[in-house]
Amino acid sequence: MRLGVGAVLAALFLAVYAIPAWVSSPSNVGNIILSPLFWPYALAGFTGLTGFGLIYSGLRLDQSGAPLEEPSDEAGAAWVRLALMAVIMVLTMLLLPGLGMVLTSMLIFAATAFLVRTRHPMTALVCAVLVPLVLYAFFAHVAGVAIPQGEVLRLP
Amino acid sequence: MTFKTFGKTFGAACALSLGLAGLALAEYPERPINMVIPYGAGGATDISARTIAEPLGAAVGKPLVMANVTGAGGATGSVAVQNAKEDGYTMLFARVGSHSVNPAMKATLPYTLEDFRFVTVYEINPVACAVSSSSGITSMEELIAKVDQGGVTYSSSGVGSLLHLAAVMVLSEFGVEEPLTQTTHIPQKGGGAAATAVLNGTATFLCTNSSSIASFVANKQLVPLMVTTAEPVPGFDVPTAADLGKPALHQLVGWTGIAGPDGLPDEVADKWGTWMASATEDADFLEKMTARGSVIELMSPEDANAFIQGQYDTFRKLVDDLGMRIEG
Amino acid sequence: MSFVDSLAAGLSLVGNIEAFLALFLGVAIGVIGGAIPGMSATMAVALTLPFTFAMQPITGILLLLGVYKGGIFGGSIPAILIKTPGTPASSATILDGYPMAEKGEAGRALGMALWASCTADVISNLSLILFAGWLASFALSFGPPEFFTLILFSLTIIAGVSGESLLRGALSALLGLLLATIGLDLVYGTNRFTFGDPNMMGGLNFIAVLIGLFAIPEILAMVRHPTAHVGKARSLGKNWVTFGEYRRSFKSIVRGSFIGVFLGSIPGIGAAPSAFLSYSEARRTSKNRENFGKGEIEGVAASEAGNNGVAGATLIPLLALGVPGDVITAIIIGAFMIHGLQPGPMMFILNVDIIYGLFIGLIVSSVFLFLIGSIAIRGFKYVADVPKRILIPAVLVLCIYGVFAVNNNIFDVGVMFVMGWIGFAMMRYRVPAAPFLIAFILGPLLEDNFRQSMLMSGSDPAILVRGPITWFFWAMTLLTIIAIARAGIRAVKAGPLLGQPPQG
Repeated sequence: MRLGVGAVLAALFLAVYAIPAWVSSPSNVGNIILSPLFWPYALAGFTGLTGFGLIYSGLRLDQSGAPLEEPSDEAGAAWVRLALMAVIMVLTMLLLPGLGMVLTSMLIFAATAFLVRTRHPMTALVCAVLVPLVLYAFFAHVAGVAIPQGEVLRLP
Repeated sequence: MTFKTFGKTFGAACALSLGLAGLALAEYPERPINMVIPYGAGGATDISARTIAEPLGAAVGKPLVMANVTGAGGATGSVAVQNAKEDGYTMLFARVGSHSVNPAMKATLPYTLEDFRFVTVYEINPVACAVSSSSGITSMEELIAKVDQGGVTYSSSGVGSLLHLAAVMVLSEFGVEEPLTQTTHIPQKGGGAAATAVLNGTATFLCTNSSSIASFVANKQLVPLMVTTAEPVPGFDVPTAADLGKPALHQLVGWTGIAGPDGLPDEVADKWGTWMASATEDADFLEKMTARGSVIELMSPEDANAFIQGQYDTFRKLVDDLGMRIEG
Repeated sequence: MSFVDSLAAGLSLVGNIEAFLALFLGVAIGVIGGAIPGMSATMAVALTLPFTFAMQPITGILLLLGVYKGGIFGGSIPAILIKTPGTPASSATILDGYPMAEKGEAGRALGMALWASCTADVISNLSLILFAGWLASFALSFGPPEFFTLILFSLTIIAGVSGESLLRGALSALLGLLLATIGLDLVYGTNRFTFGDPNMMGGLNFIAVLIGLFAIPEILAMVRHPTAHVGKARSLGKNWVTFGEYRRSFKSIVRGSFIGVFLGSIPGIGAAPSAFLSYSEARRTSKNRENFGKGEIEGVAASEAGNNGVAGATLIPLLALGVPGDVITAIIIGAFMIHGLQPGPMMFILNVDIIYGLFIGLIVSSVFLFLIGSIAIRGFKYVADVPKRILIPAVLVLCIYGVFAVNNNIFDVGVMFVMGWIGFAMMRYRVPAAPFLIAFILGPLLEDNFRQSMLMSGSDPAILVRGPITWFFWAMTLLTIIAIARAGIRAVKAGPLLGQPPQG
């Protein structure tokens, strides 16, 4: 039901704003079905239809349905942890070019391990150092991939 | 015997990547150089780049780390080098598609020729036009006659690729006045798909690097009509552009070169000049490349720039005359 | 030359220890490469290519073929163990393989994956040897209109992997189709949803989307509720697939293999759609269809048969026409050319010894795959015993390295993260991920082939029904849609049991 409303709104947003603004089409397109716009508009239309279908089936059946999630012991803390994970991901993207992939991965590993409250903190720390190093050795020297090196640490 | 060679190659590769790291030299290059290949593995640029990487690596004395960064007809990889530090540790294998056809055709391209400093062009690929053997066409005159009847199509590896522009340029040189409306362009995803499209009758003809259709020609699945060079191409028993009296088509060739970001220091560019000179002397490299139909022709930075600019100007004029430029 | 002579010539070519060693080594490299997400079979083949330059042609090509076959199987290992497909082809294996691992049956799932893979491999190789000529001529009759109808038909498999609600599946598929439009337009080269960013112009990287959609939501779910898994058995256990289970899935395996052979012999489709099609057909006809998606061993068997059935068959267009069917065979064609061999009809006349040498090698490769696969499963199965809260950060770091390695682009890591959140939201709203993935693969093919057909015909839609192949697929599509609709109506009449109209 909520999903259906969301889909209809998304379809409207696509058709009214997103497609005209972000899809460019040359002026000399001979036939509408060849235009770069044709397919996105068709998809927006189908999305709207699916949305109405979801609303309809939601109304008709009018059921409470199964709960969306299994009850969690602490709903508030769960959201805080998810937000922290999002912060970790944003930081990863910011740090990768400067710190290099190996150091960044070590930080991510440690941060994530403690975020999920690991029962083996020492093992986690050891792995946090070793796993990125082993992966680096493999990808850089066996697979020949140019793994980004940081300004701080330059591995052979 | 072959396994000894395998072992040796592998051993050498390991030694190169691990052992040399200890020797820190004060001057360029003191560490491995990243070489960006803006096209996918197995393509013409990739094979050319990986073939020269062997003798070039020996000349440089440091490992060359090859990195395929594909997408948007070579634009994604080119931008990665355009935005890289100008220290000579990130270099690009530039190609005709990414650095003369694309800039000429696409107004929305995020870079121009001025954003790069070319240190060399080392390989020229003749362009050949071909039709399917089941089409019954055997010469350029027959193809042009067919254009007047209508319904002629050509395939390419995508909008703004060399194949796209080559077909239009050839048609226009042979007197087709409105190539964009008299014939139809059927773009495909990649050069292999473009050749397949002609094989299975989706498109009438294509003009592409001779090397990429050599095996189809040898197998008599495709019939070549012409090559754009002045000299004949081995394996292609057809008239050259010079024979057909179209010298303007000599500009229409593929090439591979090496470029860095615009602000590349002079000493780095000079180093590359000497390295390339010794790398292209390598007998093994020459043999492999010529076997694939390439012409090895080492250009100095000045010659390379003039050559690319000249090709760009020719293409740009054609694009503007026909109104082919992509603005959106 | 008679058949026996050709066979003898081929045998003399591969009848040495080097050729078999190369093949064995190739399969081993492939299984390991395929098992590392982001490495994928494609990259493993590309990396092995330079080493083949110095070898005898047949030895080098057998090495590459070994890597290819090993890689396609290897991809199923992480798909089952950590919900991260090692190669795109193994994404269908996740649907039932990972739930099995969650139930502590990773050993059974991996065993079945291996048995199904080897069976499909044998069928695929035999098809190549027996029907290469016939299938090759068939492949060339596939132009854009035929492709369009085939892909339209393939999209109906979305109904088969939608889980409890067809509408939610459709929504997921539409999201996939929309995200697939990002990038440069095929026909006009204009920007669609790129926001002027050169990284977006190439479209979203497929592997980044794939890993983001499957692996990252699992990590996020873990972060949300770190102790959810405690108390659930996850260890590999002693259980191993039994012959009875293999026999029970045998029909699905054979069907999947032939779907793979058929789709593999047509250039440009690849192994992932084949695996999904095989999976959805197995589900449609199985007695245990209710259990599909919840850890049904037949689902694993069907997916793995579907993707391995492609591996031998892609060599049909390669050898008979010189046309590469996918990226991997495009690289292998490079190896042929380096050695001065030109695949195509003439090769069956000029280099018949090499052709037969390859055939013999391929047959042997199935045996090697079985041997190395068994060893690899024993090695990798300990992953299932790693404490989950150590495994999760390790998977995250592995995904970052792997996704970067695909295209040497940090931007792809960001794509993976964003897709991870989208996948997590989909998981919470019970929108299935598999339709998204199928649509993301097939959507661009559908649009491109439609527009290419229109260009060919000058916008005359009659071209879409131009021959028997198109008629066949139109009929199949119609029949499937009718079947789905009837099942839907029946379910609605039967009353709202689950609150949603079930799938078809």
